[in-house]
Amino acid sequence: MTSFPMILTERMTAHPADSHLLDRYEATGGYETLRQALLSMKPEEIVEQVKAANIQGRGGAAFPAGIKWGFLAPIEPRYLVINGDESEPGTFKDRQLLERDPHQLIEGVVLTSFAIGANHAFIYIRGEYPKPARRVQQAVEAAYAKGYLGQNILGSGFDLDVMVHLGGGAYICGEETALLNSLEGLRGEPRLKPPFPAVEGLYAKPTIVNNVETISNIPWIVANGGDAYAAIGDVDSVGTRLFSLSGHVKKPGNVEVPMGLTWRELIYDIGGGIRDDNELKAWVPGGASAPWFVAEHLDTKVTKDDCAKAGSMLGSGAVIVMDETTNVVAAAHRIVKFFSHESCGQCTPCREGTTWLERILWRLLNRAGRPSDIDLLLDVCDGISPGLAWPPRMTTICPLGPSAVSPITSIMTHFREEVESMIPGLQEVASA
Amino acid sequence: MPEQPPPEMVTISLDGQEIEVPQGEYIIKAAEDQGTYIPRFCYHSRMKPVGLCRMCLVEVETPRGRILTTACNTPVAPEMIVDTESAVVQKAQEGILEFLLINHPLDCPVCDKGGECPLQDQTVAYGPGESRFVEEKRHFEKPIPLSDIVLMDRERCILCARCTRFSEEVSGDPLIEFVGRGNQTHVITFPDEPFASYFSGNTVQICPVGALTAKPYRFKARPWDLEAIESVSMVDASGASISIETSQNEVVRINGVDNDATNHGWLSDKDRFVFQAIHSENRLATPLIRDDAGDLQPASWGDALDRVADALGSVRGDEVASIGGANNTNEEAFALGKFLRTVVVTPHIDAQVGDALNPEFLAGVTPRAEIGDLDGAATILVWAGDLKEEFPTLFLRVRHAVTQMGAKLIVVHPRRTGLDNIAAEKITYRPGEGPEVVRKLTAQGDQDYGAVRDLLTAGPVIALVGLTGRAEDPRLAEAVAAYALGLPGSKVLPLARRANVFGALDMGLAPTLLPGRVPVKSESGRAELESHWGPLPGEAGLDTAGIIAGLAAGDLKALLLVGADPVRDGRNPDAVRAALDAAEFVVSLDMFLNDSNQQASVILPVDGFAETEGTVTNIEGRVQKVNRILPGPGQSRALWSILDELSSRMGGQLGAGDGPAIAKEIALVAPAYRSMTWDRLEWGPERDGVVMPDRDGVQELRFVPDDSGLRPTAGRLALHSGRVLYDGGTRNTQSPALAGLTPDPAVYLHPRDASALALADGQEVDVAGEFGTVRLRLELDPSLAEGSAYVPANLDSTWVLGVPDVVTVEAQSSKGKKNEKKKGKKKGAGE
Amino acid sequence: MSVATVISDWSAPNQERARTLLEAYPERRSAAMPLLYLASLEHGHLTPAAMAQVAELTGLTSAQVQSVASFYTMYKRDHVGRYLISVCTSISCFLMGADDVLEAIEEETGTPDGTTSSDGTFSVEHVECIGACGGAPAVQVNYELVEGVAPERGATLCRWLRESSPEVVVTDEMQKYFGGVRSFDWGITETVGAIAPVPAFGPYGSTGEESA
Repeated sequence: MTSFPMILTERMTAHPADSHLLDRYEATGGYETLRQALLSMKPEEIVEQVKAANIQGRGGAAFPAGIKWGFLAPIEPRYLVINGDESEPGTFKDRQLLERDPHQLIEGVVLTSFAIGANHAFIYIRGEYPKPARRVQQAVEAAYAKGYLGQNILGSGFDLDVMVHLGGGAYICGEETALLNSLEGLRGEPRLKPPFPAVEGLYAKPTIVNNVETISNIPWIVANGGDAYAAIGDVDSVGTRLFSLSGHVKKPGNVEVPMGLTWRELIYDIGGGIRDDNELKAWVPGGASAPWFVAEHLDTKVTKDDCAKAGSMLGSGAVIVMDETTNVVAAAHRIVKFFSHESCGQCTPCREGTTWLERILWRLLNRAGRPSDIDLLLDVCDGISPGLAWPPRMTTICPLGPSAVSPITSIMTHFREEVESMIPGLQEVASA
Repeated sequence: MPEQPPPEMVTISLDGQEIEVPQGEYIIKAAEDQGTYIPRFCYHSRMKPVGLCRMCLVEVETPRGRILTTACNTPVAPEMIVDTESAVVQKAQEGILEFLLINHPLDCPVCDKGGECPLQDQTVAYGPGESRFVEEKRHFEKPIPLSDIVLMDRERCILCARCTRFSEEVSGDPLIEFVGRGNQTHVITFPDEPFASYFSGNTVQICPVGALTAKPYRFKARPWDLEAIESVSMVDASGASISIETSQNEVVRINGVDNDATNHGWLSDKDRFVFQAIHSENRLATPLIRDDAGDLQPASWGDALDRVADALGSVRGDEVASIGGANNTNEEAFALGKFLRTVVVTPHIDAQVGDALNPEFLAGVTPRAEIGDLDGAATILVWAGDLKEEFPTLFLRVRHAVTQMGAKLIVVHPRRTGLDNIAAEKITYRPGEGPEVVRKLTAQGDQDYGAVRDLLTAGPVIALVGLTGRAEDPRLAEAVAAYALGLPGSKVLPLARRANVFGALDMGLAPTLLPGRVPVKSESGRAELESHWGPLPGEAGLDTAGIIAGLAAGDLKALLLVGADPVRDGRNPDAVRAALDAAEFVVSLDMFLNDSNQQASVILPVDGFAETEGTVTNIEGRVQKVNRILPGPGQSRALWSILDELSSRMGGQLGAGDGPAIAKEIALVAPAYRSMTWDRLEWGPERDGVVMPDRDGVQELRFVPDDSGLRPTAGRLALHSGRVLYDGGTRNTQSPALAGLTPDPAVYLHPRDASALALADGQEVDVAGEFGTVRLRLELDPSLAEGSAYVPANLDSTWVLGVPDVVTVEAQSSKGKKNEKKKGKKKGAGE
Repeated sequence: MSVATVISDWSAPNQERARTLLEAYPERRSAAMPLLYLASLEHGHLTPAAMAQVAELTGLTSAQVQSVASFYTMYKRDHVGRYLISVCTSISCFLMGADDVLEAIEEETGTPDGTTSSDGTFSVEHVECIGACGGAPAVQVNYELVEGVAPERGATLCRWLRESSPEVVVTDEMQKYFGGVRSFDWGITETVGAIAPVPAFGPYGSTGEESA
């Protein structure tokens, strides 16, 4: 691995005790970028830097942030909403950023708001993250007290109010339009798109929704320039990225690495390899929604394009490792159960289909499956995601339903025999 | 129809066919208009698309390849290529249906929706052969009542959200909502807060499965046994289109019909369930004659008509008067008017009772708005009764214009109304001080109501003008109209609530009007009519107030009551009763006994709603066809036929042998209706009705309202006597589904007035006016203008109060004594 | 109705918080979710009366508030114990033995998944991913997190809760005594925690600290 700057985690690594406090933040150069930018840069210059940085959104969809900002409708007021509803199973990176370096996020919020012309920003944090929310709230209050937020920030004439808002327990609010509904006091049901939030977002006003990690990168990008950021990492996927390693890996946790390593490097070198030196069976490369990878993908590069070509995605950066002891039907069932539980219920295929899939898998797990269940599973999946292609086609409004399809197509692709071996009728045929 | 620019057309390819469709139209609608039906459950053309059920998936070619998308929310674009029948689409549709059916009970044979169920129909057309779902279905408690009228079977529900969206988006009373999430989602009310919406029945009608049912129809009939006919609701004068459905000669259901000009398919629950009164056991089914002992006895039609002919023949024509006729068809009203003017020969004719506005204003104000004009309005001024109570489907149209079309709303009323929560501005004024409000709005440089006046600088302005309450001076509405007509691009929609009052006035059932919007005082107009009818009196007749006074004074001797109850509707109930007692002869033509006809000499049972064929005219002047689907009960007869036979017995010739003949005569003699025929309304594009006058029609009457001569401000507690939808009227009380919905009578005071009078919320108080006293529970109402008392009209006991200008409210005391004292101070004669 | 009238039965600081929240958002309706937490705190759980109050405050109907509340898992419309034990059983925790943790906790508390103990001390629930996957298996007590919870440590945690009956549940304290591997270094130890099964957040009055 070539050397690279620790953009997101340097402060918390160097100052583990108090990286979340304003004094420490200022002592390590914090808010200097903001001061200079507010006094010397025009909003569109910041947008240009972020476009040049070519940073892809870190929430899951990997849409270039600078381009997203460019879609904003020329209507006021505009809002910035930070998506801190981190709920994709396997993902806990934003939690660390919120808890350990909230001022880095806030500085990013002010810079972004200034760039896009928003005077009101919301930081939406999932309800199950009270400690991160308290840390951010504390940091927001400290930032107000020091004039980094509020009226006439640092004498620049720019005003910004920031509010921390807690979710109520619903994965789907990580979907940006569901999040906006939730922030409006509605059920967190995804909206039909178009219109996209940049045109009609919060309170039907132009709104940018960006992930915590994405915005935490903004101070560095503005300070060092977009080109410097774009020079880190791989060709199509640039910068560093925070990956959450979990499951049967020796060293679970968040790691900041430049884009473009191989999966082998990430899992074995950085993650320390498989627990008890067991065999690797499979891993989920980008959160529970992503189709699984197996040993043959170890030398695939950790970039957006390489993963897409191999039939999956980097998603939220959650890497869930499963060793040889894993019952893949049980693992797939657990993931499908998650999506069934988290389906908002709007779309027929997702509401009914994810539940049906969960029940069929449960049947299989309990050795009560029928030979026809294999085809049935795939056909129900097809009703949610026609053609079972990647990237998925959808019969639904949002990708939640198709996400439940990923683990099933994964086990059918890579572990079909193991699945069939759990079905009494097929078992007999196989052993005969 | 109001003028609208033609939409820009684009060409798209639909299943390989090139078609021209309006730019921006949703694929589902564009395809349907071209004859391609794309299956759907959640889509409803009168609500915003939500794309929930996913049944309408189609494939569209894009630069990134073919995509599956929902036709309900995807607008057409030039050169778009749409495939509604591809293998992918068919597979998706099959999938959606299988998903919907996994939790849907297969109880179609016992389901009210069976036979007219979109889910059933589409499963047959697009569904898979059988279900592969072997697990237990989702269970919920079987139908639970959401209200006194509507029941919910959540197992049948497919979560299309039509009902919840209707409640939030259309009627604005979201009392039913999704609860839970994902597979556990269901629709329900809040505990102890029933779905008490005036519009709840619409949700039953638009439910695409049998989840929502209405008590009056449950298990009554199977769809294949139903006979249906289109007609118009006779609940108010907005002209809502309906379908009346019968099974075995009994009306079992009324559904709304989507009339773009009027109700958009929606109905109030009163429109929908009032049909039960048709089959009330209290319907009059035989003629009744009062015997010498003073008791009503059944009689033959021959005897009864002889008795009436004798009585009317034994007095001078102008000693006879007639009240009522506003709930009948135009043809019946015309026959009645012709009977009175040419056979009886009297000018004392009034279709309006008690809360009358000037008939010349109602029939002749110009420019008169159409309901559809609301959608193009920049500003809507509602200075009238609470539309939600008096014109529920019009209320929905105003809501639509404001919440969907962007109109700004100004409401002027003495207390809160159903529209307040979407109003940009609200003026609350004390009854009697309306003229002052008009003056302030008109005066240059006045500091008051600045925001209202600013809004009213933006046209087009559509003003809905009527009486805010029965105690209000009817001339205030004319002053308001005069003011409104000075605003930019303004039109006025005059409001009077009885079902066909505008038709009745247009047919000449008014002391000042001849058929076809011709003033009696118009020499040329009268001459024209005389060329058909022979000589007519040139003087205007007496209105209802004058008739009551005339009867009391003995100047008038005989009275016809045509579906009218002036005791209940009059300003002074005791005086009306005394006048009826003083009359030598009263004949009532009605469907029920009421407080006014109890003492009549002869009572003749007439056919009513759903039993008569003809036309009606709504607030816009729109003429629509009403239809007959069953005979009246027992010996009841059509009004025109009774009048025709009566004329013969009186030696006259009415020529009202049948409905079509009368309709032809209307077109001949009523100038504004010159081009009107039944055929026009029954076939083709004019089924939504035709606003008169059109084509050859002319309107002689051009009423120019002014604001002079208003009654001065009333005294301390000005009475606000507002109407409520479920009042104690006969049709409500005779419809079991509605009878229980009548609110408890009460008097409402502003908290400051109550505290000044040392009265507390919930206390029993005596409300006294110059015509009577009533004991009511006091409710505090901060929305009410200070210095006024609100008493809902025509509830159980409140009608006894009559309609005095002012009332006193006191803790209950020596009630009888006070009544006497007040009676002693009675001013003027009778009404 | 004025705010004061609607929630006159609330504590003075929470009334003040409600007022602040109602004014903080560009549209009042946005305060619904924060107010649902405040109301849950005031009523013990989200009772119909609590939802009706939130409806009055935000200008919604009670049915709308109920609809919103029922969409989210953290608004408890049924009675909930003093300590809400949420055991994550999503994929990463599952892989690390979460089902055993749940079982141990059910056994120790005598409270099956999805129920509340008869003495009202515990509610036990399995929950979907709580973002502690690097410290799997993870448990929350009144939404305060403990990472790396082995089954027997989970049982001990519950015993401790029952016996020492802490007024405030503090994440750092629980982690120190009952936790194991963490997702990341937590830094300095803090003493703020939850006073009820409502996420402990100052603006929602659920940390037990006096309002600033």
